[in-house]
Amino acid sequence: MTFKDLILISTGNLWRMKLRAFLTISGVVIAIAAFVSMLSFGAGNQRLIEQQFLELGLFSTMYVYPPDEEDVDDSLAAAVLDQQAVEALSAIPGVNLAYPLEAFSVTASLDDKQADTRAQALPGAAVQTKIFSQLVAGSAYTGDSAREALVTEDFLEEIGVDSADSALNKKLVVSVQVASIDSGLTRVLQSLGERVGERAGNFNRDSLRSMEYWQRAARQEMGGAMARFVNGYLNHRATVSDTLVIRGVLKGRHGHRLRIEPVIIPLATALRFNTGGFTGSPADLASAFGSGDFFAAVSDSTSKSYRRVTLDLDPHVLYQPVKDSVEARGFRTFSFAEQFDEIRRFFFYFDLALGLIGLIALTTASLGIVNTMVMSIVERTREIGVLKSLGADEREIRLLFLVESGAIGSIGAATGILTGWIITRIASAIAKAVMEDQGIEAVELFALPLWLVLIAFGFGLIVSLLAGFYPASRAARIDPVEALRND
Amino acid sequence: MVRKFDVSTSWLQTKELCRYYRRGPHEVRAVDRVNLYLERGEFLGIVGASGSGKSTMLNLMAGLDTPTSGRIEIDGTALSSLTRRELAAYRARRVGMVFQSFNLLAHQTALKNVELALYFNDTPARARRIRATEILERLGLGDRLDHVPADLSGGEQQRVAIARALVKGPEVLFADEPTGNLDQVNTEQIAELLAGLNRQGLTVVVATHDLDMARRYAHRTVRMDYGKLVATDSGRTDGEPGQ
Repeated sequence: MTFKDLILISTGNLWRMKLRAFLTISGVVIAIAAFVSMLSFGAGNQRLIEQQFLELGLFSTMYVYPPDEEDVDDSLAAAVLDQQAVEALSAIPGVNLAYPLEAFSVTASLDDKQADTRAQALPGAAVQTKIFSQLVAGSAYTGDSAREALVTEDFLEEIGVDSADSALNKKLVVSVQVASIDSGLTRVLQSLGERVGERAGNFNRDSLRSMEYWQRAARQEMGGAMARFVNGYLNHRATVSDTLVIRGVLKGRHGHRLRIEPVIIPLATALRFNTGGFTGSPADLASAFGSGDFFAAVSDSTSKSYRRVTLDLDPHVLYQPVKDSVEARGFRTFSFAEQFDEIRRFFFYFDLALGLIGLIALTTASLGIVNTMVMSIVERTREIGVLKSLGADEREIRLLFLVESGAIGSIGAATGILTGWIITRIASAIAKAVMEDQGIEAVELFALPLWLVLIAFGFGLIVSLLAGFYPASRAARIDPVEALRND
Repeated sequence: MVRKFDVSTSWLQTKELCRYYRRGPHEVRAVDRVNLYLERGEFLGIVGASGSGKSTMLNLMAGLDTPTSGRIEIDGTALSSLTRRELAAYRARRVGMVFQSFNLLAHQTALKNVELALYFNDTPARARRIRATEILERLGLGDRLDHVPADLSGGEQQRVAIARALVKGPEVLFADEPTGNLDQVNTEQIAELLAGLNRQGLTVVVATHDLDMARRYAHRTVRMDYGKLVATDSGRTDGEPGQ
């Protein structure tokens, strides 16, 4: 008996008991449709994240941070993330570009509107990387020293400009309030004379012999000097302004994992805002004090250390060797590719959980197949006896029933996949409508990749074959004499 | 001239063949130490009352049932030495079976029922149809090819069953009460058909309770009673059934 004969006889038998076959196949259809639609949701979300990563080139982006203070051994020189380190990092094989994070507070004015925001200095080459090349209007700036800027859609929204195109080639006035150590020191020196006179007036000879007096006096003077320094530093700042032309508008980053400052300025142009000292924002101050570079940062830009350096990697290079190389230099890293591995692991378990729920439904459906096949065998006992008397062997009888249950599984799985796809299309349309209603960019939450189709079909077929195995073996073992005596 | 049969040239031979069943606490000796031979071209009648063991005897010889003890030899080969697949091949290629209740598949046409016998001996699909059509036409059922069993008379159904048994070109035809469900006219027709097939060289074994019919058509008749072979009679002379 050929396989074609088996298929024809089995499908003929299913056709003969249409209603029962339809009900049994329906069970498989429901189970596979549930399996497909649930896993389709997981696959869709994973694809969405993957698309975002690809779109932004995050798989080839790595952040480098200075070492944690707790991890630094005092006996060794701690790795410093300075210009020299940036150059060393850019020399690592597989690193296309290394650039530091230079962000500071600015006041930006466009037309008659003004906003306090943040700016980021970036070299021209960095603007060409995928992260910064998601332009909705215009183009990247022409060079490191160009008097141009890029702004984000979020910034335009904040400042009240509706259209990205209308912002192009407009003048953006960027102002930074720069304070210097000089102003702080001047304030300390100015008050020094007053303090000396004051203390001399209250001079008490006996107190000179008391160690407690000296300690108290030192504490008071140090505290007073620090307060006057900060007061002078913060209240005597100069405003540095520059007028830049908006060359491009970057895509909005609402709720995005990647933080991009609202205003992007060419690196050399940004130095104008930085030569005089700190912008005076509490965050900048805290950072500078924290890193121990307070004085170095203002006195010499080449010895300045950075809080973060971004590496743009060759997309064909694995991130792990680069990561190892960077960490061997004593720095900490954050790799989006590594994060994506975590995300993928999460989705694996997520899909596994959803798949298990689908499998439970499929197991229930498989009981329906067992029931149908056992019923079929009971009803066709005489037929089995006839087939055996005509020369069918046990293998052929077993195959006949296995193909029959396999046909139930195949038809059920194929229809289930189609049904699952229709369900996801409906769910997707509803989800998109809700997202648009909420003012969120509508995204596709479901996906039906080929692997899911193959797995769903494979599961349907395998489960139905397993379900048919017992009835088929039972049919094969039927004694033909007993079967023919039946009537 | 009475045809002579010789055990030394037999096609089939049984030796001390036993088939016992257990029915509750009782042992039923359906076939009990039967020694029988069957020669090529012979028409053998096995007669006996209901429950005498003649159907069991046919099932054993057709390889459908397995003896409790004893041997069945076909051309010198013991059936018990064959694997289950070889035994199935023996049924598929060398023997044909006809039953009292026809055992046609009710949902299949006469043509499909006959074709079914060719599924298990590697006959190509096209040849199956041609051979099934030919045999049905030969048995006078050319106009009944697309009829399902329910649309056929008892005699026609039995002829379809005979066609199904013959279509594979077996060496022997085992017929178990082939006329048991038929009226007198159809009984005569079927008996004539079997005798005619035998005259064309087919070995035929018929189990029947109708001693008269067996004597008229069979070369040799054996009688069974409670599983034992109790008598052997010579029957018709060659070429003159019904005498």
